[in-house]
Amino acid sequence: MRRDNNVKKKAGFIAIFLSAMFIVLCFSGCVEQEEKAEIKNPKTLVRYTIGDAKTLDPADCYDTASSEPIFQIYETLVTYRGDDTKTFYPLLATDWSVSNDSLTWTFNLRQNVKFSNGNDFTAEDVKYSFDRVLTMGAPESGVDWIFAQCMDTNSTTVINDYEIQIELTQPYGGFLALLPYTIGSIVDKDYVEANGGVVEGEENEYLKLHPMGTGPYVLDHWTRATEIVLNKNPNYWGGWEGNHVDKVVIKFADEPATRILALKNGDADFTYVPYSNLEDVIGEEGIVVNPFDSYDVVLCAINTKASNNEYLTDSQVRKALSYAFDYDSAIENAFNGYASRLPGAIPVGMPYYETQNNGQPVYDYDLTMAEQILDDAGYTKNYDLDGTLYRFNGRTIRLFYNAGNSEREKMAVMFRGALDEIGILSSVIAEGWPQLLHRMYTTDDWDLMFIGWGPDYNDPDDYIDPFVGATDTFNTGYTNDTVFEKILEGKYSADTNVREAAYETAYDIYIEEPPFLFICQRQYIRPWRDWVQNYSYNPVREWYFYDYYKAYE
Amino acid sequence: MKTWEFIVRRLLLLIPVLIGVTIITFTVSHVIPSDPARAFAGGPKAQPDVIERITKELHLDEPIWMQYFYYLNDIIHFNLGKSYLESRPVSDSLSQYFPATFELTIFAMFFAIPLGIVGGIISAIRRNKLSDHITRIIAIAGYSLPIFWLALMLQYSFAYQIPILPLEGRLGIGMDAPSSITGLYVIDSILTGNLETLGSSLYHIILPAFTLGFATLALILRMTRSSMLEVMGMDYIRTGRAKGLSERSIIFKHALRNALIPTITVTGLAFGGLLGGAVLTETIFNWPGMGRFAAAAVLGFDFNAVMGFTILIAIIYVSANLIVDILYAVVDPRVKLGGG
Repeated sequence: MRRDNNVKKKAGFIAIFLSAMFIVLCFSGCVEQEEKAEIKNPKTLVRYTIGDAKTLDPADCYDTASSEPIFQIYETLVTYRGDDTKTFYPLLATDWSVSNDSLTWTFNLRQNVKFSNGNDFTAEDVKYSFDRVLTMGAPESGVDWIFAQCMDTNSTTVINDYEIQIELTQPYGGFLALLPYTIGSIVDKDYVEANGGVVEGEENEYLKLHPMGTGPYVLDHWTRATEIVLNKNPNYWGGWEGNHVDKVVIKFADEPATRILALKNGDADFTYVPYSNLEDVIGEEGIVVNPFDSYDVVLCAINTKASNNEYLTDSQVRKALSYAFDYDSAIENAFNGYASRLPGAIPVGMPYYETQNNGQPVYDYDLTMAEQILDDAGYTKNYDLDGTLYRFNGRTIRLFYNAGNSEREKMAVMFRGALDEIGILSSVIAEGWPQLLHRMYTTDDWDLMFIGWGPDYNDPDDYIDPFVGATDTFNTGYTNDTVFEKILEGKYSADTNVREAAYETAYDIYIEEPPFLFICQRQYIRPWRDWVQNYSYNPVREWYFYDYYKAYE
Repeated sequence: MKTWEFIVRRLLLLIPVLIGVTIITFTVSHVIPSDPARAFAGGPKAQPDVIERITKELHLDEPIWMQYFYYLNDIIHFNLGKSYLESRPVSDSLSQYFPATFELTIFAMFFAIPLGIVGGIISAIRRNKLSDHITRIIAIAGYSLPIFWLALMLQYSFAYQIPILPLEGRLGIGMDAPSSITGLYVIDSILTGNLETLGSSLYHIILPAFTLGFATLALILRMTRSSMLEVMGMDYIRTGRAKGLSERSIIFKHALRNALIPTITVTGLAFGGLLGGAVLTETIFNWPGMGRFAAAAVLGFDFNAVMGFTILIAIIYVSANLIVDILYAVVDPRVKLGGG
């Protein structure tokens, strides 16, 4: 009898457990998406992303996370609109002109513009803002170098309340492209002076946390590691007629699964989804996944210094390496197909990219060609390792990448396999970012290193000079006086024909002795809800929330 | 030894513990050749003047033992240095993130301790009965379910499929935090009379607190059960029963107090561990606490932040152990603090 009771109790327990499971499953199955989901928070745009801002002071901002809210709060003299990267549009300037010698720029300013605190915007604010960048010297980020290339504190002159003149210290072809960057943001002179002013070499702690500009939104609050919330600026000169959102929330969430669920349940209007997680959102009802070509480039730097690896000083070896890399497989495997080939130092879409073999890459994956070049150059397979012959007397080429970067890891491992096929011994080494930087800049003890680069402003000088110019940002040791000269010629001319010819000549030379494998340009994917209207991606002027709104159309 | 003497002695012992912790952490984080100044200054885009400034700030141009001396000197002056990832003093970051983790831990414990103890008692006194089986299943689930899986499943079930709870965060999207008095949103909301943030913060803490507390609940439940079973078999319990004491009196007055000693130990250590930040729970529920901060600092090689976090955790662990020792004496009068 007692045994029967126990059996009954156990059976009862199992029945309760199964019933509970059944109810949960039924609920899960019953909840289905409607044809068109109800728009959540129709007057608020919410973007889930990773990485908090560092500062909200435009004079010391050199990271994308900080620039996003800054671009909503502040405005620049000129800007880009929509996905157009070729045209400069007026913002706080209405029109502009340049002297024949490309040194003097005159800007007429928009009238009846007020800062969000009600103060009038005038030419004094423009001069103050530009001089502030150069005097303060961006102590935290060093971003003032962008202006310091062609301006000093004597450059900007106030002609009248609504006209300024900028006298460049030297002609600079990319000058106008500098102005839409965050350091070109205009601050209110009175507001800054009342809150710490400008001190040479010191950041302004107040402006860092309390931004105030002429832009469409004002800061409501910034809770570190949580969110930045912006409300509409009632004084905005552009007005609030038409379709706009009243509030913008930029939320920081590290976990991709959380961000994806936020997008799926409608909490998020936009979110950042890594390439490896895109399958979770592609094809989902109400979610748009649309890749755009970005200016984020992926490269493999080659250390050409004789003090390191004598073989890599030979341009023929570097050419062979360029043929030995399987670009298409890298794009497919490391970036899930969301990248496109990079022809040279200048990314496709940026002005003058056509000067690089009409925008087409020179090197394709061709191991036969790679072997032929090495054989012709005398680097035969002369080293026997366990019955297999290798080149370079068995010298190992070390492929470095920063630990944790799975895309670079995949590319490095893949490249090691290809090098083995053409008889080059190689090894893949992962190191922490600070260790890698130490290796790259202090020890020179590296062979190849997978790296990346993103835009500061929309001019080829921001790419070609750091990569193959005298600046040698990646410490590759590449030297060619003609290339350096042509790059400077392009940099210091505002004449498009001169620049075009200069970049074309430079390209034709450096691509034959490449100090980099020019691998690909990443595509930019930020899935969004289909109720968001008017969104467009611009690789140099990301996020302009004033233009977007939520509705079904 | 009097109780206060015991406490003072234990607190003084904190000093060599902290020195040891700083030496180990400092050595581990600084011994590998690296270029943190360039990393903080922007990597390849770093400007020379910024690299130079950071090098000087961190004394990276001096021998490592001098760097340690400067660091120790700063700590003595309550200066934990600057977090280069967050571009603000480490103390500011800790003062924001620690209350978030503390609040989450307290709520996790509110749920785990009573349920764990009650479950353990029921499981012990109704050994091999249905309620024992159920509590044991709960305990096994608590032990064996990976916390990230549990968190994701709870999130998926109750914030997406049956959306009755929020997905993430401490407050609703776009909601400003209550004026900071303690940094604990629930307490601050009560103190400032802000009912909106009170409701939102309570609503948001349910899922992460349950996730975080579930494993601890299992731990407490199992420990209480086994201790109770051991104590219930002792002679003095049989004597009590022979004297005709009620079962309630035997369990709660005589057995439980003895059985709680090991439970207090594991609870204290678990509490200390949770205060160190639960990286997975905090990351999945987007809870801006110590775990997320520490993980980001380690991955970002933010040495000052890692050191500041480590020192705080050392203090928490030592304090948790001290509180556990004091509680021993409160629960069991036979225990005398400081021995003798």
